Amino acid sequence: MSGRRLRTLLQREARATLRDPFTLIALVAVPLAALLVFGYVLSTEVKGLSLGVHDASHSAVSRRFVSALAANGTFALRPYASREALDRALVAGEVSAAVVVPPEFAQGIAAEAAATPAELVVTYDGAETVLAGNAEGFLRALVSDTVAQVTSREREAQSASRRARLESPRVPSGVDVRVQALFNPRLDGTRFMVAGTFGFVLSFLTTVITAISIVKERLDGTFEQLQVTPATSFEILLGKIVPLGVVFTLDVVLMMLAGGFVLGVWPLGSGLFFVVVSAFYVLTSLAIGIVISATSTTAAEAVQKTVMLSVPLVQLSGFAFPLRNMPRPVQWLAELFPATHYIRISHAIYLRGAGPAEVLPELALLFVFASALVFFAMRSMERRA
Amino acid sequence: MSFLSNVRAVAYKEATIVRHDQALIAMVVAQPILMLLLMGYALSYEPANVPWAVLDRDESPLSRRFVQDVQATGYFLPWQRVASYDEGYAKLASGEVLAFLVVPDDFARNAHRGRPDVQVLLDGADPVSAARVGAYLAEIGQHFETVRAEPPRAGPGEGLVVRQEFRFNRTLADSRFFLAALAGILLTNLCMSATSLGLVAERENGTYEQMLASPTRPLEIVIGKLVPYVGLAYLVLAIATLGSGIAFGVWPSGSVLALLAVTLPFVLGSLSVGVFVSAVARTSAQAVFITVFAILPSMVLSGVMFPYQLMPDGVRRIGGVLPLRWYQIALRRITLRGAGIEEVIAPALMLCAIFFVLLVLIRLRMKPRLA
Repeated sequence: MSGRRLRTLLQREARATLRDPFTLIALVAVPLAALLVFGYVLSTEVKGLSLGVHDASHSAVSRRFVSALAANGTFALRPYASREALDRALVAGEVSAAVVVPPEFAQGIAAEAAATPAELVVTYDGAETVLAGNAEGFLRALVSDTVAQVTSREREAQSASRRARLESPRVPSGVDVRVQALFNPRLDGTRFMVAGTFGFVLSFLTTVITAISIVKERLDGTFEQLQVTPATSFEILLGKIVPLGVVFTLDVVLMMLAGGFVLGVWPLGSGLFFVVVSAFYVLTSLAIGIVISATSTTAAEAVQKTVMLSVPLVQLSGFAFPLRNMPRPVQWLAELFPATHYIRISHAIYLRGAGPAEVLPELALLFVFASALVFFAMRSMERRA
Repeated sequence: MSFLSNVRAVAYKEATIVRHDQALIAMVVAQPILMLLLMGYALSYEPANVPWAVLDRDESPLSRRFVQDVQATGYFLPWQRVASYDEGYAKLASGEVLAFLVVPDDFARNAHRGRPDVQVLLDGADPVSAARVGAYLAEIGQHFETVRAEPPRAGPGEGLVVRQEFRFNRTLADSRFFLAALAGILLTNLCMSATSLGLVAERENGTYEQMLASPTRPLEIVIGKLVPYVGLAYLVLAIATLGSGIAFGVWPSGSVLALLAVTLPFVLGSLSVGVFVSAVARTSAQAVFITVFAILPSMVLSGVMFPYQLMPDGVRRIGGVLPLRWYQIALRRITLRGAGIEEVIAPALMLCAIFFVLLVLIRLRMKPRLA
């Protein structure tokens, strides 16, 4: 290996990359756009959801109940005159949840015990699974709190003797579960998504850009010219990987700054450690890009292969869906993607403030992947020679 | 009518190309199967195999029963017993467990006096799972009977009960949610990538010039190019619908006619996005690149994966530009909620509007190339 030859190759690649305005725009715009888009989409917070209400009771108590529901502000209430209208609104997706106040609501509130209690029905739109799952906890608590609130106010107005009876000790039941989330008390999705977006952008953009650049060189014939120079295939490989690696490492820094200043998400762990790990991961996906480009004849084919690869990348790497929810065989499959391990590391650094010691096994795995892929990349370039 | 015969001629030419495009045909067949398996089996927001740790400071029969009740829900892996608060906290911090339950030493004692409490620490690093697990645990606590010897309560204690139900999807299975939108995802992939390369490739091969030299007008070329893909799109729709019905029992519960009708403006709209991309891009690599980065936001912002209702207002509005947003709304209405034609008129109109705007844009963009 000659230092001078390598330097020439590095210069050449850096100039070629920086000259193409399209690549430059992609290198800056795609990471930023991905960060902003992904940063905002995942939310577990329920706010402003439309809640359909049908008040069949038409009593002072039920009106008080409905306005108390609205006063909470979590849901936007929409009144419906009939049960049928409410059902139609659910089918049309106008409301995400619905509360039906029964005709016997007032009697139910007033009564202490009844053989057939009045039934207040809360319906969720199960078609929007995620939404219903998130809204369920909030709405259940809100409805039962509001019922309790209306009930106690109602009963205060009643006679003292009845109140005395009400205050007699009730059957003790239930456990108060005091829930507290560490690292992310408001369970804000932005942190989670920002940490994962690095894995997404680095896996995807690097592979596409490398694939396009090598296939283009082959089509233009400049790659063959490179191969007849005294440069060895390892030098050519380094000459490809190093400049792109530097550019993508700068991309990581750019994304960290954008995530920090625009979205307010800084890594809890060491930022420097994160950049180092990311640079290492960039190497892995650059190698994948080289393998893909070596097996494709046109640029379009190379990009299409990358797109096919991106499906499991988004779905199975833990970027959007927690791996543990998946069946065992799928989990094993996911472990085979380098992206899975990188995303796990970036979650650990960004969200839990992990240091090198905590992510050592994942780092080791990533190293194994990187060595194997670089080896394959070199082989694939030699075969072309 | 020369318009129709011109369109037919271009369509025939395009269909012949499509028939010979093996990569495209592989995509039409392989992708539905891959996605069907992923969505039906693998993807879920529903927590499962949740690792958790327990610090039971009470060690009473009651506290053990509470822990067993939590375990019995089936969401959790067997619990890991920890000896100290710090040990549990460390497990949480390293990501080894998602939840850490602390039962205080006065748990059983408090149970006799009133409502005891327990503490649950969750790993907020995984917000979606943490939110759900927190809700499950609160639910278990709510119904946990601290005093079991008590005879069944003499009649309901109150005159009012609150009943909950999940309409359209009783078990709240995520697979139903995803499968309902499967056709939208597949068609977006197919339509956008099929046409985006078309014009650029023709320009690169020089066949575009040949077509311009023929008496066909640009609009006729565009429409003629779209026709074969519309047929292909309906084939994919059939594969997706039959596949999720046969394999997972998710059949459209609403009007199939409405499903077929609303698919047309969506397919035309998505194809036009591809045509527009190919009119903008200079090389085919660029075209595919732009397409990929048009497809990905579609998946994320349209609401097929994440509920768009919870996104911030501005982001939600950006997503409203995407054809997939309106199509997935219509798909879920028809497939899961049993909607008919009238409930999907609004999204269908939005899709028509998007298609129309794109046609105008394409026309504007293609004009100067004729000169």
